[in-house]
Amino acid sequence: MAVVFGPGHSIKPVWFDWHNRKHAILETTYTWTDVKGSAKRLHFAVRDEGGLYQLTYDTADQIWSLEGLES
Amino acid sequence: MTDHRTILHIDMNAFFASVEQSANPELRGKPVAVVGGHGRTVITTSSYEARAKGVKTGMAIWEGKRACPELIIVVGDNRKYTYTSTKINDIFHTYTPTVEAFSIDESWLDVTHSLSIFGSAENIAYLIKARIRHLFGITCSIGVAPNKLLAKLASDMQKPDGLTVIRPENVSRILEQMPIKELCGIGKKMQRHLNMMSIYTCGELGRCDAARLTRKFGIIGTRLKEMGRGIDNVPVVSFGKEDDVKSVGHSSTLERDIDNPAEIRRFILQLSEMVGNRARRYNVSGKTIHLYVRYADFFSSWGKQTTLKNYINLSDEIYLAALGILATVELEQPVRLLGISLSNLKHQAEQLPLFEDERKKRFATQAMDRINDRFGRMSVTFGSLLPGKEKAGSHVIPPSWRPDGVKNIDVQ
Repeated sequence: MAVVFGPGHSIKPVWFDWHNRKHAILETTYTWTDVKGSAKRLHFAVRDEGGLYQLTYDTADQIWSLEGLES
Repeated sequence: MTDHRTILHIDMNAFFASVEQSANPELRGKPVAVVGGHGRTVITTSSYEARAKGVKTGMAIWEGKRACPELIIVVGDNRKYTYTSTKINDIFHTYTPTVEAFSIDESWLDVTHSLSIFGSAENIAYLIKARIRHLFGITCSIGVAPNKLLAKLASDMQKPDGLTVIRPENVSRILEQMPIKELCGIGKKMQRHLNMMSIYTCGELGRCDAARLTRKFGIIGTRLKEMGRGIDNVPVVSFGKEDDVKSVGHSSTLERDIDNPAEIRRFILQLSEMVGNRARRYNVSGKTIHLYVRYADFFSSWGKQTTLKNYINLSDEIYLAALGILATVELEQPVRLLGISLSNLKHQAEQLPLFEDERKKRFATQAMDRINDRFGRMSVTFGSLLPGKEKAGSHVIPPSWRPDGVKNIDVQ
C-alpha cells in the first residue's frame, strides 16, 4: 500500500498491491471514518482501471485492509 | 419570538442513494435503490432515476424490481451515511451555532444573526450547497423562510438541488392554494379529517374559525389555524439544548420469525445489553421498562410496560424486568420484531452500592463497558450472546438519530 500523507492530516492512497498485482489508484471517490471501540478507522472508496475497492486504515494498529471490491 | 427570523431548512436529496452514487461512479445516472443489510429488508431510499420509474421508499425489493426491472440494489452502509451527515452538520455550524438536526438528512439553521457576516440567506445557502457538492459530490434542496414550518415547505418545493425563498410578504399568496398535506405535521389522517370539514388548502385552513377547529381537534386546533396562515414560533433548538432525553430504547426486526422461548429471551438479553450500555454511557437510569413485540403477520403487535421502585441501568436488571412483562403475556404468533426501552429517566451521579455482591456486579459491568468502549461493542458480553448465533442490532438508522449526544446511536 502506498499513500501520501499530506498537510492537514490528509491521506491520499496512491497504489496497493493485491494478489501480486499493483493496482494504481485513479481516483478516490469517497472517504469516511468510523470507530471500532476507541480505534478510528479511515475508509476510502477508490477506483483503478478495473474496478472499485474499499480500503480501510485502522489508525490504532496501523494496518490497511481491503474491505470490499466491485469489478 | 421575533417575526424577523431567517430560517434555512436543508434537505439532502435522496441522501443514501446519492452517497452511494458519489462513492461508485458506475451508479451515477442509474436507478439505484438502497436496502438494509438485513435479511428481511425493504428499500430505504432510491435515486431520482429510480423514483421516476415508480420506485418508492418502503417497497420490498421485488416490488422495486417490478416497477423498474433495471433497478440496481445496493446494500447500504449506515456508517458512511452517519459520517457524512455529521460532517454536513459541521459545515452548517460554520454559518450559525443554531443548528437543529431534524433527522439524518434534514436540518434547520437559524441564520438571523449571521446575515451581517455573510450578506444574505441566499448567499449562505449557495455557499453550503457548493461546499457539500465539493466535499461529497451530492446535492441538497434549501428553503429560506421566516420560520421552520415555511422553510421546510420551501425546501420541498424544488427538488433536487433547489433553492426556494419564501419572503414574509409572499406567505399568504403562496399558502392560498397550497394543499394542506404539504405542511410538515399534517399527515394522512389529519388531512382526511380536515377534508371532511371541506378544508383542502392552507388558505382555507387559515381562514377557518379557530373555535370550529378546537372543537374538532382540541388544543391543537389553534395551532392548525396558525399553520394555515404560515405562523410558526417554534425556535430552532441547537445540539445540547434540546429537552432532556425521555427514553433510551432499541428495537430490531429479527432475521426470521421466532417462537422458541429460549431464543426470544436471548434477543431480549441482547437488546437489554444495548439499552443498558447506552444508558450507562450517558449516565442515566430509569424506572420504567417497556417491551414491544410485533408478530409474524406484521400487523399485530403489543407493548406493555412496568414501573419499578428503583432506578436501574444494569443490563441484567433491564432483562429481568422485560422478562417479567413477557411472562404476563401468551404469545399468539411467532415474533418478528422486539423492542425494549427504558424511560422515566433521571441523570445520576454514580453511587456505590452498599452491599458487596451489588458492588462486584457494578464493577464487573464497568469493566465490561470499558473494554467494549475500547475494543468495540460486544467485544465482551454475556456467554449466551456469544458469536455463532444470530444477532439483533441497529441495522436501520432510526428517525431519532442525531449527530451528537445520547441519540447518536452506533449503527451497523
